[in-house]
Amino acid sequence: MKRILHKLLPALTLLTFLLLWELGVRWANIPAYTLPTPSVIVLSLIDHWPSLALSWWFTIKITLGALFLACLGGVLIASVFSLSPQIERAFFPIAVVLQVTPIVAIAPLMLIYIESTTAALLLCAWIVAFFPILSNTVTGLRATDRNLVELFRLYRASPWQRLVLLRAPAALPYFLTGLKISGGLSLIGAVTAEMVAGSAGRQTGLASRILEASFRTETPKMFAALALLVLTGVIIFLLFNALSRLLLGGWHSSEQSHTVDHNS
Amino acid sequence: MALRIVQSIFLLGLLLSAAHAQQAVTFATNWKAQAAHGGFYQAVADGTYKKYGLDVTIRQGGPQVNNRPLLPARRIDFLMTGNLLHSFDNVKNGIPVVVVAAMFQKDPQALMAHPGQGYENFAALKNAPTALIAKDGQFTWWQWLKMVHGFKDETLKPYNYNLGPFLAQPKAIQQGYSVAEPIYIQEQGKFKPVVHLLADHGFSTYSTLIEARTETVKNNPDLVQRFVDASVIGWVNFMYGDRSAANALMMKDNPEISLAEIEASVVLMKQQGIVDSGEAQTMGIGAMNAARIQDFFNQMVKAGLYQAKDVDLSKVATTQFVNKQLGIDLKKSLAPK
Amino acid sequence: MTLALESPLIELTEVSKHFVSGVRVLSDVSLAVFKKEFVSILGPSGCGKSTILRLAAGLDIVSTGKVQTPALVAKAEGATAFVFQEPTLMPWTSVFNNVWLPLRLQGSGLDQSRARVVAALKSVGLEDFAHAYPAQLSGGMKMRASIARALITEPKILLMDEPFAALDDLSRHRLNDDLLHWQQERSIATLFVTHNIAEAVFLSSRVLVMGARPGRIIHEVTIDEPYPRRPAFRESMRFVDYCRALATALGHATEQPQQTR
Repeated sequence: MKRILHKLLPALTLLTFLLLWELGVRWANIPAYTLPTPSVIVLSLIDHWPSLALSWWFTIKITLGALFLACLGGVLIASVFSLSPQIERAFFPIAVVLQVTPIVAIAPLMLIYIESTTAALLLCAWIVAFFPILSNTVTGLRATDRNLVELFRLYRASPWQRLVLLRAPAALPYFLTGLKISGGLSLIGAVTAEMVAGSAGRQTGLASRILEASFRTETPKMFAALALLVLTGVIIFLLFNALSRLLLGGWHSSEQSHTVDHNS
Repeated sequence: MALRIVQSIFLLGLLLSAAHAQQAVTFATNWKAQAAHGGFYQAVADGTYKKYGLDVTIRQGGPQVNNRPLLPARRIDFLMTGNLLHSFDNVKNGIPVVVVAAMFQKDPQALMAHPGQGYENFAALKNAPTALIAKDGQFTWWQWLKMVHGFKDETLKPYNYNLGPFLAQPKAIQQGYSVAEPIYIQEQGKFKPVVHLLADHGFSTYSTLIEARTETVKNNPDLVQRFVDASVIGWVNFMYGDRSAANALMMKDNPEISLAEIEASVVLMKQQGIVDSGEAQTMGIGAMNAARIQDFFNQMVKAGLYQAKDVDLSKVATTQFVNKQLGIDLKKSLAPK
Repeated sequence: MTLALESPLIELTEVSKHFVSGVRVLSDVSLAVFKKEFVSILGPSGCGKSTILRLAAGLDIVSTGKVQTPALVAKAEGATAFVFQEPTLMPWTSVFNNVWLPLRLQGSGLDQSRARVVAALKSVGLEDFAHAYPAQLSGGMKMRASIARALITEPKILLMDEPFAALDDLSRHRLNDDLLHWQQERSIATLFVTHNIAEAVFLSSRVLVMGARPGRIIHEVTIDEPYPRRPAFRESMRFVDYCRALATALGHATEQPQQTR
């Protein structure tokens, strides 16, 4: 019984919160255009499902696309950095500049320079998502056990063997940490870019739905789109957590709850 | 003793009238200060609002600013909106606000193009490869352009109030106010753009509307009347009188605008009959006609933006504060002899 | 004992080593280890014991002097085995894959190596844990896996850097017994660094005592006890005598003031 309760705890907390929200708004008679109740939001979600679903899919595509490219770019560049300290010194500042540039400022500029709106949004989301993966993977590639490095030297391993059999697996936990961070950031980047710069026609995501609802003062619809965004973020988080558990569960301290102890 | 009482009552009366004399009012606009807001700034600058017992603070809008939610939230007292579509949306969503005056008889919303690119004809605009439309237009009158005039979503590109993309692409078209953007385009691009007023092609909405909360109209109609009246007088003075104080105030609020731009804009406003045309000439600036609102709504229903049952038109606007021929005599007195 | 006609498998001749910073780690060290010999190096910390091992492994270069070891012979990967103080297993893969690693790095595929890996695991008593992950093993078991990995290439020399320092006495004794068994079976020349006197006496045919700063060999004790050595040896008077002799020598090693340059 206790275990079932333990597993359901997050869900129960959420339900309680929603219940308080619903009752609170009703009791205080807050109008729907200021703060709608969860039930009104759900109704709006169902009502506008066709357009919301399409927008949701677009936002997911941008998010995952940017994330994929961020992984690619991050891992590749991290590998290059780990092979050549000079290149790392030369280019790491550029990477930092990318990280600290506010998307809000450059998104409209991107749209001026880049023809395709989708490409511009992808680029903005990529910029936000790429640095944590790069930074964490660089650390991970460096964090290999020194004795293992010596062992590989002893057996005269080739650089390729060293990368594939030693450095890559050693860097995996760090990479996954970067991935978990970037998952959420990619979503935020995609939404922020679209919100600030806008997008067009059929290529519109949830951010446009939120803006549109806001302009048309359709507050329940705005909340419905927001709810979908939040849901996306949560799913991404859970997904990468599961991935991490899958890949690291057997051996990395970050995923161990206890170690099985055998007697020697 | 009796003298004391009389003195006290007199003092009290003075105090009360003093308190009443300057009621603080906040009016939010929908953009940064420009000639299209001139009348309101005039009423502040030349003391008209004060004469009507109002201490008005004008709160600017801007490219990233949306002041509309502030009105139902009671953070402002009056709101300027650009067209009736916002009002229809309000009523549709049960927001308790209502239009009390229409300062522009014509909506200056327009589409602009480079000259000599074949866009001299309005019908050619829909074939432009790039239409630079901002978010506020994208979700409102662009839908009407699509439905009624055949524009396509594929050509729409987000417009972030930067003239660069339009100036760089001769085949592009963009949105703007007919009394503002053409001036800037001429300055920066050194050419005179082709301008197509949406109002000339069926977009018959009033513009620069004053909105108030329904509760204000119900509980404090005197306040609303004073604000509307003072604003109308402000517009008459701005259009026909000495607007130097208003110009100065607008340039202070929005340092990016120049005197030349304001004056050029006023010329265009007069030429295009934006403020003072049609019924405004007989009924005074701010005039509204329920039948015209009904007609515009019907067109929007036909364009698929609304369903007839969505909006109770009686709640959209009230004409109780306008159509009183206010300002007509003043205008005559300001006319050059 | 030493077979004078055979050449030693590990030979250091007047080796000195100093770091770039100028610190002199080793000064004029000479030693030789022959086939099947078990030689221990005893000494205080910082005396350069580990550096000797690294030089013998080809992981470091001498400043002056000569080193002769299979590690410096081309195409002789696998002739040298090294066991570190930590088990140094790859935590992300199974015990089987860890033991397979040296063969794999030499290009030997899974099918080719399978039998040898299983045999190596069996000889260290880990045949049931082939598919376990290192995190699931105890300290002693991890060390066995590390040794299995070291032995899989059938090395000619075995270099061990205080491998049992982190284990409890019982595990250490068991591993001492097993190590001798494996070493004698395969006739591997072994150079073993420890600071545990009893361990050095039990395992070795010779014990070299080192002084510190700079490191050099100040004393050598020959343990004249035949192999295989039984656990009973630990309780004998001879054992105690050897320990006492080494303790005295060690005491001298730490007493003498040394120069760092």
